[in-house]
Amino acid sequence: MTTRHEVCPAEELTPGERRIVEVGNLAIGVFNIDGEYYALNNVCPHQLAPLCEGRITGTVTSESVGEYDWEKNGQIVQCPWHHWEFDITTGESVFNPHKVRTRTFDVEVESKSDRDEQVSCYGTSLQGDEPPVQTYDVEIEEDIIVLYI
Amino acid sequence: MSSQGPKGAEAVGLTIDTDVHQTRASDEEIEQYLPKRYQSIGVELPGRMYNNPGGVLREDVQNEDGTPAGSTPENIQTHLFDKFGIDYGILTGDILSLSVLPNRDYAHELARAYNELLVDKWLSADERFLGSVVVAPQNPKGAAELIREYGSHPQNKQVLMNSVSRGGYGHPYYWPIYEAAEEMDLPMALHPSNQGAGMSEPPNAVGYPSNYFARHNAMPMLHIGQLNSLMSEGVFAEFPTLDWVFIECGFTWVPMMMWRMDKDWKGLRQQVPWLKKAPSKYIIENTYYTTQPIAEPERPEQLEQIFEMMHADKTLMFSSDYPHWDNDHPEYGLPKMSESLRKRIMYENAEELYKVSE
Repeated sequence: MTTRHEVCPAEELTPGERRIVEVGNLAIGVFNIDGEYYALNNVCPHQLAPLCEGRITGTVTSESVGEYDWEKNGQIVQCPWHHWEFDITTGESVFNPHKVRTRTFDVEVESKSDRDEQVSCYGTSLQGDEPPVQTYDVEIEEDIIVLYI
Repeated sequence: MSSQGPKGAEAVGLTIDTDVHQTRASDEEIEQYLPKRYQSIGVELPGRMYNNPGGVLREDVQNEDGTPAGSTPENIQTHLFDKFGIDYGILTGDILSLSVLPNRDYAHELARAYNELLVDKWLSADERFLGSVVVAPQNPKGAAELIREYGSHPQNKQVLMNSVSRGGYGHPYYWPIYEAAEEMDLPMALHPSNQGAGMSEPPNAVGYPSNYFARHNAMPMLHIGQLNSLMSEGVFAEFPTLDWVFIECGFTWVPMMMWRMDKDWKGLRQQVPWLKKAPSKYIIENTYYTTQPIAEPERPEQLEQIFEMMHADKTLMFSSDYPHWDNDHPEYGLPKMSESLRKRIMYENAEELYKVSE
C-alpha cells in the first residue's frame, strides 16, 4: 500500500540540491533538478554505500575516440564510494542501465490547497456556527514536497 | 547519514584494517614540527598530476566544518571503527609523495615531522590506531634513524615507503633501511602515491598513461616491479626475518609472479644463486598483500581459486582504504569464502604479522 510522507517545504530544496530523508527502514535521497523532483533509494547496489550522498554532476559521452561530450548536467549522482554514476531521473546506472540500478520513488509537490483537501478528510467537524476557541487566519504560501512509497 | 548500515561487529568479527588514511587537516599540522630551516618552505609536495573527476576523498564523510574526511580521530572512530566494529586500524597517512622529492634532506625532515604528528595527534588518541613509520627512501641513512627512533613506539607496527622509487627497492642503496627495520622487528610496507610525479619513474612499464583511469589500472605493475627487484637482488635472502606488505596494488597477480619466478629460477638460478629456495617460498613466507581494491571477477567465486593459489590464509589481509573514494566495505566488499579463511584475512594474518596485542 502506498503511503504519503511529507519531506519539506519546496522552497527549502532549491534546484541542484538534495535532501536525505528516513522513512521507516528506508533512506531516500530527494533531488531537485531544475524544478523537477526525483527520489532514489540511498543505497548503491554495489557495496550498499549511501549513493545519494555523492557528487551531483553530469556525465561524458563520446561519438568517436578522442571526443568528449558533456551531458545530463546536474542529472547524475556519483556514489561517494567507487564513483559509479546513476541517472537521478531513472535510478539507472550509466555503465549498465538495465542491470545495475537503484530503486526510485514517486515524489510530488503539493500546494496548500491540495494539503487542505487532504487534511479536511480527517478530523472532527465543528458543531454550530461559532468556532469553539478564538482563531486566527494563517496564510501558508509554501508548497510541500511529498514522497509516495 | 548512512543508509543500510552493516549488521555490526558481530557480522564482521574481529577485524584489523590494514590501510586507513588519516589525513592532515591543514599543512600547518605538519609544519609545526619542521626544523627552522624549512619553516619558510612549509609543506611543498608535488601535485598528483593525474586527476580523478570525482575527487579522492569520500564526500559522504566530510567533517561538518569542511575539514577533510579522515582528518580527526573522531571522524575515523565514528565512520570506520565504531560503525563497522574495526578492532585496529593501521594508519598509512597522506604524505608518501615526499619520496618523489629530489631534496633528500627536506624529504627526510617532512617524514620526521609527519611521524611526530602521528604520535602526538593519532597514536595518543586511541589505542586502536596503529602507526606506520614513514621514511624518505631517497635518504636511507635518515630513514634508518627514523625507524630506530619512532619504531620503538609500541603502537608503531611497520615502516612505510612509497611504492615508487628511483630504481627498484632491491638495490643495496636501500639496505640500511631494511637493516634498521629488521633490527626493530618491524615489517616493511609499500603503498603507492603520486606515481609519475616529481622524480618518480613512470607509472607503468610503457611510460606515462594519459589519465587517472589508466594510471589506476596500472598500480599492480608497481608492486610486481618492486617484488621482482627485492627477489632478484636478494633482499629476502639477506634479511630473512623481514616481512613485506604490499598495500593497495592488488593481489590477483601474485600467483602469476610465483609461477613465473619459480619457472625462471630453475633455469636462470646462476644469476641469483643466493636464493636458496624457490621464489614462491619466499613470497609465501615473507610477503603480505592487502585486499582493497578487491577484485570483482565475472563470477565472484573465482576469487576463491586465487586465494588458494596465493596461500591467502598466510598472505592476504583485509584493508578498507578509508576514507578514499575506492574504499571497500568491511562486510560487503569481500566475496563469500569459508569462515576459517575469512578469519585469516580479516584478522589473524595481520594479528600475527603486527603482533597487535603486544
